[in-house]
Amino acid sequence: MTVAGATVPARLSVQRKRPTGLLLVLFPVGLLGWLIVYPILNALVTTLTLRTDEGLVLSLDSYVAFFSDPYSLNNLALTFWTTAVCAVLLLVICLPIALYLRFSRGPLSAYVQALAIFPLFVPSVILAYALIRTLGPNGMVDILLNAAGLPKLPSPYLTPWGPVIGLVWDNIPLTVLMLTAGLGQVSDNAVEAARDAGARPRHLLLHIILPQIVNALLVALAFAVLGIFSSFTLPYVLGPASPELMGPYMQRTFADLMQPRMAITQAVITFAICAVFGAFYVRSVIRSREVR
Amino acid sequence: MQPQPVSRPRPHTDWTGIGLAVLLSLVILVPLIVVAIWAFAEVWRYPALLPQSVGLRYWEATLARQDVWNALFLSLRLSATVTFLSALICLPAAYAFARMDFPGRQVLLLSFLATQAFPKFGLLIAVAGIFLSLGLIATFWGVVLIQLVNTLMLMIWVPVAAFQAVDRRMEEAARDAGAGPLRVFWSITLPQAGPTLFAAILLTFINTFYETEGAWLIGAPMLQTMPVLMIIFINNQMVIQYGAVLSVLLWVPSFLVLLFSRRLIGSQSFARGFGV
Repeated sequence: MTVAGATVPARLSVQRKRPTGLLLVLFPVGLLGWLIVYPILNALVTTLTLRTDEGLVLSLDSYVAFFSDPYSLNNLALTFWTTAVCAVLLLVICLPIALYLRFSRGPLSAYVQALAIFPLFVPSVILAYALIRTLGPNGMVDILLNAAGLPKLPSPYLTPWGPVIGLVWDNIPLTVLMLTAGLGQVSDNAVEAARDAGARPRHLLLHIILPQIVNALLVALAFAVLGIFSSFTLPYVLGPASPELMGPYMQRTFADLMQPRMAITQAVITFAICAVFGAFYVRSVIRSREVR
Repeated sequence: MQPQPVSRPRPHTDWTGIGLAVLLSLVILVPLIVVAIWAFAEVWRYPALLPQSVGLRYWEATLARQDVWNALFLSLRLSATVTFLSALICLPAAYAFARMDFPGRQVLLLSFLATQAFPKFGLLIAVAGIFLSLGLIATFWGVVLIQLVNTLMLMIWVPVAAFQAVDRRMEEAARDAGAGPLRVFWSITLPQAGPTLFAAILLTFINTFYETEGAWLIGAPMLQTMPVLMIIFINNQMVIQYGAVLSVLLWVPSFLVLLFSRRLIGSQSFARGFGV
């Protein structure tokens, strides 16, 4: 890596230090600027200013309106609750799967991996429909319970647990993939050595494996949180009408109530809340690239 | 430490694996199987375990609906347009990022991460605010543009990794043997990067086909893509089977992707694109 890797780019850079590259990336970068950077700046300006007779003035009125409205605060609280519950469930479900995939070979392991990745290929709409038919009133679970002579369970459909189940299902693949990639960096030797020294599985996990995958764990969590906090489709279809998650709330405020400024205010608030996770995510991607 | 060397080389039964396999099969497969049964159920009244009558009646009914065909063609047109534009814009840029040196290269490449660092639906709302003033709400090109946002990251980062993975020594050798830059690109670079590029393009197409949030926010109710139509079917729930038939129909492309992109998804480079 060292000698070859160092000389080749140097040679190339002499050959090609021309603006052609910049020209080629101009279009996507421009698109990025227009469809991501500009909307975010525009959102900040729109929500922080008010058009009056004397022109634009700085105003926090839309944020005051949001934070003094109990309905908005309830929605925000529900979003926090859903995100936290999903994050915990994802860890509890995906860490064992990833550990198993890291330390076993064979057809059974391949089957588990295929199943864990499968939801990646099931669009949220289809998932939502499938969960309604399975967990909804008179759904498959009810049918099976009835056939077994057991009483019906309360359906999670249209309760806060509906989106939780859907979002966890949907996020299993990427969480498992990220955790398995992280576990791939744990060396077999370290694990073998610890095992030979008599470490029990619990100690192995806590003292050898977990410290090495903390970063992967945090990145996977950050990524899941970013996706779940402003998710739309699953909460919209599976969740309760009131209170609602921020995603459906923003959509309703924008399209049904036709209050774009209020909707954008809600969006900026989700940006602010998720900023920590976004920054962490970007930082760790940059760091993992520097290492390579 | 007696029992360890005995038990380690050949574990008796993989109980963890069996447990995980059974649990995952239940959780992942059962909902999908239920949908598949519903798609062929003509009559299925609670609490029967299986449908009372099975057949293709609802396939005919679904396929006879004009809105289904309109949605399908709209979705195909949208996905084709978005994928074509995305490839046209992103692939040359990905090549430049992977192979050329220019001012700001690292920063610009990393800036594409910005698409992932924001909660997505919030971002879409911010974009929709701008589209509102541009009159792009409920237009074909409005939906194209908002779906293009989703494809940028995938179509830049995965191809960059693909171009970087091409063996430079083979290119140098070809160049030393007198091949021009275009010839090197066609004969050496493209065949090596090709499969990954193809997978990225395929994933972009499928992702766009299923993209719901931007289409719902910008397009609905005027523009009904397949996913938007599905949501309408779910919300109105008059005939359960319509949704089931559409779900089964929509799975076909999913399975194709599953077959084509297994290598890409299973590889570590895919997860690396997400920063692990």
